Parts: sequence; structure tokens; C-alpha cells
Amino acid sequence: MQALDIRPCQLGDHTQALRAEVREFLAEALKDFPASERARNWNGADPEFSRKLGERGWLGMSWPKRYGGQERSALERYVVLEELLAAGAPVNAHWIAERQSGPLLMKFSPEVLAPLLLPRIARGELLFCIGMSEPDVGSDLASVKTRAVKTDGGWIVNGSKVWTTGAHRSHYMVTLLRTGPKEEGNRHAGLSQLLIDMQSPGVIVRPIYNMLGEHDFNEVFLDNVFVPDDYVIGQPGDGWKQVGAELALERSGPERYLSCTQLYLEMLDAADPQDSRHAISLGRVAARYAALRQMSLGVAGMLARGENPATPAALVKDQGALLEQSLPDLAHDLFGGSRQAGSTLDQVMRYLTQTAPSFSLRGGTREILRGIIARGLGLR
Amino acid sequence: MTQAIDSQAMDPNAPSPLQSMIADSVERLFADSISAEVLARFDAGHAATDLWQQVVDLGLPGALMAEDAGGSAATWLEVSPVLRAIGYWSAPLALSETMLASLLLAHAGLDVPEGPITLIQVGRHGDLTLNEDNRLHGRAFNVPWARSCRWAAVASADGRMALVDLGEASVSLETGSNFAGEERDSLHFTNARVQAVAPLKIADLTEPVWLFGALIRSCMLVGALESSLDKAVSYANERAQFGKAIGKFQAIQQQLAQMAGAIGAARMATQVALRSAGEALHAEPGSRSSLAFDVAVAKVCAGEAATLAASVTHQVHGAIGFTHEHTLHFTTRRLWSWRDEFGSDSQWAQVLGEAAIASGSEGFWAGLTERSL
Repeated sequence: MQALDIRPCQLGDHTQALRAEVREFLAEALKDFPASERARNWNGADPEFSRKLGERGWLGMSWPKRYGGQERSALERYVVLEELLAAGAPVNAHWIAERQSGPLLMKFSPEVLAPLLLPRIARGELLFCIGMSEPDVGSDLASVKTRAVKTDGGWIVNGSKVWTTGAHRSHYMVTLLRTGPKEEGNRHAGLSQLLIDMQSPGVIVRPIYNMLGEHDFNEVFLDNVFVPDDYVIGQPGDGWKQVGAELALERSGPERYLSCTQLYLEMLDAADPQDSRHAISLGRVAARYAALRQMSLGVAGMLARGENPATPAALVKDQGALLEQSLPDLAHDLFGGSRQAGSTLDQVMRYLTQTAPSFSLRGGTREILRGIIARGLGLR
Repeated sequence: MTQAIDSQAMDPNAPSPLQSMIADSVERLFADSISAEVLARFDAGHAATDLWQQVVDLGLPGALMAEDAGGSAATWLEVSPVLRAIGYWSAPLALSETMLASLLLAHAGLDVPEGPITLIQVGRHGDLTLNEDNRLHGRAFNVPWARSCRWAAVASADGRMALVDLGEASVSLETGSNFAGEERDSLHFTNARVQAVAPLKIADLTEPVWLFGALIRSCMLVGALESSLDKAVSYANERAQFGKAIGKFQAIQQQLAQMAGAIGAARMATQVALRSAGEALHAEPGSRSSLAFDVAVAKVCAGEAATLAASVTHQVHGAIGFTHEHTLHFTTRRLWSWRDEFGSDSQWAQVLGEAAIASGSEGFWAGLTERSL
């Protein structure tokens, strides 16, 4: 169990003023933002809103000043994140860039790409997407076929990516691809991360519509795309190791248990306080929210101390998805036969019931996460 | 990952030297002394009296009490390894109850007697009352280890703490037990006088025995949960079928990973509650405490994890785990017992749910971050 141990992390009293400031800002900025939009949670994108957060210094706030950051603590950043998500703010226009691409560039391209791009991420001006999955490659990332071949001053990339969230509005894609072959006993050798400018000739983005008929993710085709040497992230061949560290950032954040919060809030307002069935079911969820918040915060504390909590992060994401996905079914259980079509509860339930299946697919499937946890337990 | 090392995040929850010392000594004692034979003898009706003397020699029953009351002034976090170890090793002792009873009696300024002490919360499990003349009248059932305890610490509904001698003629006892064979007796008080009584004020908390009782059971559940997981992982790595260890099958791995997640949630919720238990004891009487919220969360998470873990660990162990000969049942029978005691997960969930519904969409998130719904 050692590998899975998460210790509690206390937010100091100094975070209280910041939390109050964020709440005050959100109360004003989102005062006319309807529940049906809040239900989108971090799927909702509004570049204007992201720029407003940048103006406040709430993006990249723990980064060094030379990268456009505020040099505030990682836990202060955590407070801002959880307040944004709990309010259902439309954060997707900066989310991926601020959460993982910025830190990735800061670590693996501190003198070239980070000074160039991080200040713009911190202003809420740059959108990133992550090119990992491919048409024949989902969970088995070591088998990616997209390939970069060395040429004068850079690399020529050919291949395709799929399920790439936000590719159609992104400026850059962090792309996992092959620059060399697998090796005997190391199938993760030869993988690299390249930064692709989405305006480059040869990049083609095609929409994939989800079951709601909405456009979030895409296919991305890369046809002889030139990538300059400066846009290699870290060292060629180190891609897998770099992705591993990145995934700890991707998997443990508060977005991994708060996606269905608007539905929980709607249920609280619709509940009958005299009905013990309502109280018990909603109370079980409240307990899981409280525990998951502490677990997510505990992993944030580990990250802030410079540890790599990849295994605990997998645990938090698995438990978080269980919580999020239980909520549409609980809404069905408690209110399915009684709610009015078109009511606020109905709108929120409609969206989240049809979105929730993705919560245990995106960012690492349940099966992959549980495989990581099992290894942490000493199995296999 | 590239964030500068954050000094504010330096781990204040790393175990203190006292906590590590307590953990080492209790682990050594229980690992050496609690064998399958000892537990089988306990099930056959033989109390583990030698073991009790050994925990007394380590000073564990009074560990939570202030030094001037004869204790070690350990914090809840520091004694938590004892509570965990009771669960992990299935220690058949009134130890957690005596630790809590001693703390509450001493906190009320009462002298703490020697020997095991049981606990009663007036208003829960029976119609017992403590009247204005400080006489106890009525029935209390599910009283832990009552027949092994000469003394009981009784918390009244109005904030008094009383010490009562169960050897008095005005007290009668009917034996009972939980699924694990641990004594859970019924007591009948007929206008029984109390030995001593005093007001007990801990922050803004009511029903201290019920609340702290749920905390100690949550901690014991976490220990039993970790035992059930360790046993399942060991068995899965040893047992071979179809030419390989069954732990190599994804069907087994997926179940154990989910179980580990539920246990992780229970452990985290319990750690948070232990910290606020310590804070509540030092807070001004009447001041706000998050303990009631934190304990409710801990008991719900621990109870839910117990339900899942008992099922998964038995499934992984196959038929052998269902035998009397195998030791798994010592753990799973405690999981099934303790998830009910001092409030089941659905009882505590109802408390949380009523508060969450009252807070509504406007107040829920603020209540969650304040840990005060």
C-alpha cells in the first residue's frame, strides 16, 4: 500500500483571502451564466473568460515571473482551480495549456519554448491540445505509429491523431510520436514529444461529433509537417518518461471528481428534506466529495513537494470517475420518474447523462488506471 | 512537476517521533502475541487477559490522557497506530473503548479508574436516562465489552459525563455479541447511582461517546481493511491457476485496485478526522469544530469500503477463505460488525445528506471547503 499512500495536506489560512477573492470574482463574472452551461464544467470554453483570469494573475500563478507567472504556491493555484470548477466556470480555453503543457515546457524546454510560450499561456491567449491516441492506438500508447524523420534543421512528421480534444481551436499540439524504433525489452524506447504549430502546412483537423452532436474532439492528420529542432520537447527518445510525469498532472486535479457537480447541486435543490432516501443517497455522495477533495489535495501537496505521485494520481482519478459517473444514475434513481422535461434539473441531467461515459475513458481508461494501481499493490 | 518546491506544502502530517514509537511497539506486540490460536481461543470464550496486561504495560489505555491525569498526552494522530493495529491484528480487547473513556472522563475532570472501561451514549441504543439526581435508569444495549469492564463512562444527552460502577446491585447484564464474537452486552439500570459526574464541554460537539466512538471504529475499520487487502494481495500472488498466479489476471487486479481506492478514501477521511479530533479537544468550549462533519465522512467512507472489501477479499480467496481454518474470517467478521457500530454508514450519510440538502446549491460548496455542512 506504500505506493498508494496519500497524506492529508492542509491549505494554510493565507489561502482564505484568495478563496474569498475568487468567489467574489465568480459571483460577478458568472451571475448570468445558466445552470445548463455550468453543467459543462471544464468542457466549457470561453477565451474571453480565460483572458480575464489571466489579467487577474490566476493562470500559471505558481510559475516563475520570467515565464509570466506570479510565483505563488501550488496550493494557492489549487484553491483557484477548485473554486472555478465548483462554480462550473468555462475554463477549457486555457485548461490543458495551463495544467500540463506549460509545466511540461518549463521542465523540458526551459530556455527555448517556455520563455516563448508560457507568458502567453499565463495571459490566457494560447490553447493547447494533446496528441496521444491514434486510430489504431488507444490505451496502448507505446504502439503509436506517427513518426518524425530527421531533416535539415528539424523533423518531418507523418501520421494521424484521434480524440484530440480542442484541436480545432488550439494553437499548438504536444505530440507523442516515434523518432526511433522500439528496443528489445523496452517498447517505450524511441518515443518523443514534439510541439506542432497547428498553423503549419500539412496539419488538417476534422471534427468528430459526440453523441450529443457536439464538437469537442477531432481527428488530426499530419502530412509531411515540418517541425523545427527547437520544437522538440526534452530529448528525442525520452517521450515516454516525460509523458509519465505529465500524466500525474493530468490525472489528480480537482477536475477528476468535480465534473458532475452542477447535477449534484440541482439534486440538492430538488430533494425533499423529509425523504430519508434522498438524504441518505445524497449524504453518501457528500462524504465521497469530502474524501476525494482531501485525496486530490493530498496529491497536490505531493506535487508541490516535488514528488511524482503517478500511482496515487491514478487512484484519485479512478475514484473520482466513480463518483462523477454515479451522479446521473442517482438522479435517475431519485428524480427520474418525477422531473419535468425542460426544467433546470432536466437540462443538467440530460447533458451529464450523455457525457458521463467519457469520464472513465479520457485521460486514461479505468482499466489502465486500475492496472497502474494493481502494480502499486505489488500484483503482476 | 516543474513547480518550485513549495515550503508551505512541507509535510506537517509526517508521523511525529512519538507516533512512530507507538506504532513500532504496538505492531511488535500484536504481531508477536496475536496468533490464529489466540483468536480461536477468544472465539471459544477465553478472554485475552495476558494481552490486556501487555497493553497496560505499554501505557496504551491512558495514552490520550493529559500527563497530570496519569496519561501520555498523546494526540489522536499519535495514538492512531494503536487503533489501526487493533483492526489490522483483530485484537480482541476493550482497548479503543478504554482509551476513549479515559480521555473523556479525564477531560471532564474525573478520576479515571484502572482496568478496562466501557462506553455508553445516552439517547443511543436503548432508553437509558441520566436524571437530574445523577441516577441512571433504563436499558442500554450493544454496550462493548460490558461484562469484561467494571466501569462504564456514560455521556448524557445534556453534556454530563458520569462514571458508573457496573458491579452495583442496581445494574444487571445480559450477554450478547457482534458477528466477530466481541462482547456487546445489554445493561439494565434500576435507579443506579453514579460514582462521579461532571460537565463535559468539547467545542460545539454533542454526543461525545457516539461521535468519538464512530471515529475509533473508523480507525479500526481502516486497519481491518488494510489487513483484508494485504491478505488478498498475498494470496493472489501465491495461488496459481492455469499456470500462473491469479494476481496476473486482470479480473483479479481490477477488483483489488477498486478495493484499494475505497480503502484509500477511508484512510484519508479518517486521517482528516483524527487531526480535527485533536483540535476539538483544545478548542474553547462552544467554538466551532469540523469534527462532526469529518467523523461522519470517515464513518461513511470506512463503512462503504468495508462492504466492498469484505466481498472482494472473499472472492479473491475463493473457497479456502470461507473455511474456519483460514484466518480471513477474523478480519471480515470485524468488517461486518464495525461498519454497523456507533452508527452505520447509512445513518451517518443521512446526517450529512440532511445538512447538504439544507445548505442547498448556494451553500454546499462553501460547507465542503469549511468542512462544516
